Amino acid sequence: MNNDSALKRLVSNPDFSRLLILILMFALTAVLQRNFFAMKSIVRNINSFTPLILLTMGQAVVILSGGLDLSVGTALSLMTCVLTSVMKEGAPITGFYALGVTFAVAMAIGMINGIGIGYLRIPPVIVTFATSFIWLGIALFLRPTPGGQTVEWFQAFYKIRNVEGSPPFLDALGEIVPPALILVLIGCLLWWVVSRTKTGRYIYAVGSNSQSAYETGINTDWVQMRACMINSVFIFLAALFFVGQNRSGDARMGDPLTLKAIAAAVVGGIALTGGRGSVYFALIGALIFSFVSKIIFFANIPNAYQTLFGGVIVIVAIAGSQIYTLSSRRTVEESKLT
Amino acid sequence: MSLVTSIRDSSAYKVADRYKKLVIAFLLIIFLFVLGEIVVETFFSFGQILLTIKLAAFIALFGLCQMVVIASGGSGLDLSVGYTATMTAVFTAAIMDGQNANLWMAILVALGLGIAIGLANGVLTAYFKLPPLVVTLAMANILQGVINVYTAGRNITGRPSPVLQIIAAKSSGMFPNILFILLILTPIVMIIMYKTKWGLKLFGSGSNETAAYLSGVNVKMVRCTAFIISGTLASLLGLLLLGNMGIAFKDMGSNYVMPSIAAAVVGGVSLTGGDGNYLGVILGAIFLQTLTNLLVALGWGDAGKWTGFGIVLFVLLIVYVSNRRRR
Amino acid sequence: MTVLEATGIRKHFGGVVALSNANLTCRQGSITGLLGANGSGKSTMSKIITGVYSADAGEIRYNGTPVRYRNPNEARKNGIAMVFQNLSLVADLTVWQNIVLGAEKKKGLFLNNRAAIALSREIVDQLLPGLDVRKMVHELNPGEMQIAEIAKAISEDPKLLILDEPTAALEHAQVKSLFDTMRALVDKGVAIVFTSHRLWEVMEICDDVVIFRNGANVANVDFSKDVKDPEKIVDYITGEAGKAKIEKSRRTVGDDIVLRVNNLNYGRFLKNIDFELKRGEILGIGGLAGQGQRELMLALAGNYPGVTCDVELNGKKIKLNRPANAIRNSILLVPGDRQLEGLFLGHSVFTNIIFPRLGLRRQPLFTPEKKYRQESQKVVDVLSIVTHNLDMPVNSLSGGNQQKVVVGKWLPFHTNVLLLADPAKGVDVGAKRDLYEYIVGQVKENKMSVILYASDNEELIGYCDRLMIMYEGQIVAALEGEEINDDTIVATSMRVDIGRGK
Repeated sequence: MNNDSALKRLVSNPDFSRLLILILMFALTAVLQRNFFAMKSIVRNINSFTPLILLTMGQAVVILSGGLDLSVGTALSLMTCVLTSVMKEGAPITGFYALGVTFAVAMAIGMINGIGIGYLRIPPVIVTFATSFIWLGIALFLRPTPGGQTVEWFQAFYKIRNVEGSPPFLDALGEIVPPALILVLIGCLLWWVVSRTKTGRYIYAVGSNSQSAYETGINTDWVQMRACMINSVFIFLAALFFVGQNRSGDARMGDPLTLKAIAAAVVGGIALTGGRGSVYFALIGALIFSFVSKIIFFANIPNAYQTLFGGVIVIVAIAGSQIYTLSSRRTVEESKLT
Repeated sequence: MSLVTSIRDSSAYKVADRYKKLVIAFLLIIFLFVLGEIVVETFFSFGQILLTIKLAAFIALFGLCQMVVIASGGSGLDLSVGYTATMTAVFTAAIMDGQNANLWMAILVALGLGIAIGLANGVLTAYFKLPPLVVTLAMANILQGVINVYTAGRNITGRPSPVLQIIAAKSSGMFPNILFILLILTPIVMIIMYKTKWGLKLFGSGSNETAAYLSGVNVKMVRCTAFIISGTLASLLGLLLLGNMGIAFKDMGSNYVMPSIAAAVVGGVSLTGGDGNYLGVILGAIFLQTLTNLLVALGWGDAGKWTGFGIVLFVLLIVYVSNRRRR
Repeated sequence: MTVLEATGIRKHFGGVVALSNANLTCRQGSITGLLGANGSGKSTMSKIITGVYSADAGEIRYNGTPVRYRNPNEARKNGIAMVFQNLSLVADLTVWQNIVLGAEKKKGLFLNNRAAIALSREIVDQLLPGLDVRKMVHELNPGEMQIAEIAKAISEDPKLLILDEPTAALEHAQVKSLFDTMRALVDKGVAIVFTSHRLWEVMEICDDVVIFRNGANVANVDFSKDVKDPEKIVDYITGEAGKAKIEKSRRTVGDDIVLRVNNLNYGRFLKNIDFELKRGEILGIGGLAGQGQRELMLALAGNYPGVTCDVELNGKKIKLNRPANAIRNSILLVPGDRQLEGLFLGHSVFTNIIFPRLGLRRQPLFTPEKKYRQESQKVVDVLSIVTHNLDMPVNSLSGGNQQKVVVGKWLPFHTNVLLLADPAKGVDVGAKRDLYEYIVGQVKENKMSVILYASDNEELIGYCDRLMIMYEGQIVAALEGEEINDDTIVATSMRVDIGRGK
């Protein structure tokens, strides 16, 4: 029986601290950014946060299953290049083809990573490091320089109003609920469904203790493969948004996002060792990360310093979270040596 | 016992096994050259080979950084070598400004930077127990950021001292000078790794961290030192890169990171640590450079290069690293 | 009705025979106890029945049909459930999630969590009322984790339940609940196999007991017919050897105390350890497996930074918080698991032998090859290590020779105290003899002091001057001279009073 007061337990709960930090960052940003609460600003913020949120949630799923994906950035770039290569301006039907082909590519990416991590049991960091170059190469092949074509209605993934001929109620809806938000909601829905199935439960089991999971008869290889494929769906959603917004594909746009996605997941409580954390809190981690970036931006730190701070934040975030989670966890193992 | 098992159990086989990877690397190179010759004539010419080796030398030198870090164990890898080199090149270019006079200062700066970066990496991975891949990746980002800050609104000025240019870019007769560096360095590296107490500690820490610890070795310090060495070496390589290119520019070193790791894998350095033959890394570097040349000869450019590297590394990982049989 | 019948089971690992002729019969609705000393084969037997190992020879009949399970899953699917010591729970899931893991019921497309929680509550309440099945496993204490494990096994509605030392981590009240649950299962017709190192437990709950010794079962005691006599049971466990007094060459051990240990504590593994080691003495550490002996050796080797103790070596206080400290004080450890802790498998014999020098101060930068090679060759010769040459990779040597390397690397060192953690485990007879010959020789000639932990009582009896028995992290007995015999060792290990006057 715990003698700590309920309040003390609440405060020492890491998730509670995360919420607190989120509120703090939110408040700070609100203070620094003028018109923070103006509709325009809110929408703009949501739009700029969305890619990282989606990538972080996908990454969280992979990390939970005991893996790590260093190829998310280049995978995202590849998907944008595929989209803009299949679509032909002026032929609305190609937009649908593009969706189909790119989704297939996404599944292929997930499967290849999944085979490497799950079936072949190559250490995830190094195998996704290798595959990241494969995605990069193919992306460069499709789009040596940023460009490509999009169809008119594709912009719906970014701003419904821009699309000609869209019904007015949809326009009004798009004003209040930006498509980016809908994409994030789709992502959340996806995870909500998965977490209620065997796959969701098994992702945690395999990530926490793959040997025990295996001994209960779970096919651990398949579980990790599915986690990679779920990650691909999140990346796919982010690609839709990016192309909708920028109307072009770029083989290098995703590079900076990989590390940020990992860091944001860790900030959100996902343990790099696997099996621990919540995808929804990974979302919060991405929010915190994004707000901090915004704060740095508004604190008038020169543009040039932003990459620098980005890297520093990542290290601080990961180091801090690791120390935090390690110290509050009781290990199940017996005496260890070093 | 069947013939196969008795062969496998024989001691001779087990010794030969260790050199297996070197032999495979060598065969792969031959294979590529043959392929190249089929595709493009004059692929297999003395001049071409020398050029390949010259370019491969840089990869091999970066590969040395990786080998030291990987061999120390603990899933060690150093993704910050590229930007370490770039940063040193950028800063020292201005210091040297095309003269030999300040070369010594440039070297000191390079050493200082390299040690500092390596120390940071080492402490974060060995003492804070953060995953090396993530730490060094973040470090690369930080260094990139520093470079961005430094070059914001100003041009990168400066040129390398002539001495550096001679070493890195020029040749004596047909023989690229950089090869001399490699030729001198290789035996030194081999001696240190195999004949000194430090090399023994390094391999021990990577091979069996528990056994090393119980023998009184400070495994954390060994791993930290490995990163310091990697950082310092990468930094000095920045000077050489500068000498080779003649000017410094923002992404100078990034193209070497992936190949350096791939070279180590091709060369048979075990990713779990404890094992590593520098000759293998050199062969690995030559293999990768040859592959690049082949891809360029085929007209596949940058895209082909990265895809090719990615696929080759993936296949090698399957062959060398896959744990499929474990359960 | 007979649920399980195993006859003539044989099993060997490498050169070591674990079971030579084992038989076991389990009847529906009865609890059979398995007893035996370390290495008697009883856990191997359990593991063969449950499919973890496969037998080399012999037959297992399950409900009349011969079976041969290739892995635990197959056995489980056929109604054989097991609970072993190494926990198979997933720490980051809740108790109820663990209980239904791998066998979740679904409601349409989704998991039926409500049913799972209800089922889990029902089972757990029988075992440990009040345990919240919604707690995460990593929040539980060891006793609760064991209960959760047992609950998981029971949830699969087994026909045959194997419980391997389930009470090790449990408190008295929890043991009572477990026994109640076992009786309830038995009423439903389940057959149970139960092992425990607490003899009184076995006598309380089991209907009959099968006793193993040296890989075969030597006795069956049916408690419905025979009287429950602990001394007789201990007799069966130790056999004739228990009576015979083994003649061993008496060494004259002086009164010089080389090592004094006071108040050594380490977490929940070691509690209040006090003892003295005399110069030229071989001090044994015995007891059932897993009572803290291994941890004590590691602690003395300086392996645990968090250990608290008062240690004096030759009258001088020393600290044992780093292996390098122990090594510099010439307290040298031969670790228990040579592959995990003692050897660099991919490296040569030479490298392995000279490696420990790195723990000393002021070592030369360049390894003096010639000198070291001579010394390594000497080690190989003295210990008769079978290898083509010094450069062979050490994983090409046999187990016994590998162990000789692990011991031999300390040979060139001056040793104050040699810590031996089960040096002859898994080693063939010839190598074992060589090793002990060497060690005893060193003790006689150089007055080296040894602390010897062996899982095989024969070694302890044959070589130790004094023997400490450990139980649950504490030293519970110190035997000397005539007292060091099988009967006494087993009895004190199992905490049985056999009229020693203690």
